[in-house]
Amino acid sequence: MTQSQHADVGGGSSGSRSRRTATAPFQVRGRFFTAIVLQVAGAPEGEFYRTLDTVLAQAPHFFTNAPFVLDLDQATGIGPSFDFTGLARELRKRKVTLIGVQNGTIEQNRAALTAGLITLQGGNDLPPDRTTSDGAAAEEDDPASRALLVTHPVRSGQRVFSDMGDLVVVASVSPGAELIARGNIHVYGRMRGRALAGVNGDSTARIFCQSLEAELIAIAGLYRTSDEMDASLRSQRIQAFLDEGALRIEPLK
Amino acid sequence: MAKIIVITSGKGGVGKTTTTAALGAGLALRGKRTVVIDFDVGLRNLDMIMGCERRVVFDFINVIQGDAKLGQALIKDRRLENLSVLPTSQTRDKDALTREGVEKVLEELRNDFDYVICDSPAGIERGAHLAMYFADEAVVVTNPEVSSVRDSDRVLGLLSSKTRRAELGEDPVKPHLLLTRYDLGRVARGDMMKVEDILEILSIPLLGIIPESPTVLSASNVGTPVVLNESSNAGAAYADAVSRLMGEQIEMRVLGPERRGLLQRLRWRTA
Repeated sequence: MTQSQHADVGGGSSGSRSRRTATAPFQVRGRFFTAIVLQVAGAPEGEFYRTLDTVLAQAPHFFTNAPFVLDLDQATGIGPSFDFTGLARELRKRKVTLIGVQNGTIEQNRAALTAGLITLQGGNDLPPDRTTSDGAAAEEDDPASRALLVTHPVRSGQRVFSDMGDLVVVASVSPGAELIARGNIHVYGRMRGRALAGVNGDSTARIFCQSLEAELIAIAGLYRTSDEMDASLRSQRIQAFLDEGALRIEPLK
Repeated sequence: MAKIIVITSGKGGVGKTTTTAALGAGLALRGKRTVVIDFDVGLRNLDMIMGCERRVVFDFINVIQGDAKLGQALIKDRRLENLSVLPTSQTRDKDALTREGVEKVLEELRNDFDYVICDSPAGIERGAHLAMYFADEAVVVTNPEVSSVRDSDRVLGLLSSKTRRAELGEDPVKPHLLLTRYDLGRVARGDMMKVEDILEILSIPLLGIIPESPTVLSASNVGTPVVLNESSNAGAAYADAVSRLMGEQIEMRVLGPERRGLLQRLRWRTA
């Protein structure tokens, strides 16, 4: 039995060539998660923990299981020798998990890395009403409640991304354009580009269009190209959805 | 204060330079002080189509880099007193264009002219980007065939997002569609796209339909903008387009190629 020379995620070892099997130990995917950012004014001490305890008491479930990031932009009191490990431990006592820091200086970042935290870049702010501490549960909002509405034609080469929920386009979408949404996608016009719904793995997402002329449609990673679509569906009003792991496209009556 | 109009397309070879020359000359004929600028650094053509290639001393890049004053580079057209040409360099390339340099030149031109027409190079890279960046209006030149329409669509997306007006949240660049090399026979046979189909995809106002015409090639050979040729159907279509650009409502007529005269047809047979 010959040893396979290259690292292969599949496990087969019979024969001289190892095959990529269907049961791979893991799959790599990109995914969006929402983190809570604490922008600290100085080194966390007594006052910091007292205020944190008050906030946590107001909405105990809101913060559980949420990844926390420390924004060091205004953190003047935190030097290179700051005890991030201790801070993480104190937070864990309060059931708050610190995963990383942001906007730190090089020394601050180094200290954070030593404590097992990561340094994060970028990130988009969520609209303020999302972080009200009125006892809202930690579950994410219903995706359909945060629809991104587009009323102008989506031109070739443009990409529209709705990371909060649905995407509704009341215009046509040109070939070479991309629509990407966490939730459903609706196109009240001619859909000629690519539509990718349920990109965070939501297999209940659907795609609706007034006239199917798409180059590619995908739901939660399962896709079909124009070539593989039934000719009878072309230019029809359709909905696409996942049914027992298969992508189905059906006309809307 | 001048209106800055970019003549763009995405696709190459559709008739941007021909259109720049024709619209520029057409506007000058109507009494507007007009300047046409070549943004295709390294592959310059506008000066040839305008017939002034033998009078180029300084160019757009010289002015940007401070080697010459704008007045030294501008070439006044000999036929039309309202028309000037700012040629570009043939020896340099698009890296010589800078946003600040272009802005400075356009600001200077704005004061002295009514219309500044920018002849964009093909593509969507630096030269095309800078040609459209400061525009108030855009003429998107499109041939009635699929790849040209696709590229024009892409350019429309860029006009609505990568221009100064878009970035500052001002009124968007006003787009106009100009169909060129339109061949009635091929449209009838189904080889070329119909006007309605193109308008459905691009969804912008139609400025004009320029028929395929041998007079366009003759015009560029002699260095005279085709709009100055009174027996050319393409020229007549460009004149209509100029009127519409100035805000007039002209009925859209779709012209075919010129009919060969009787004498021409006899000569053809005996040759």
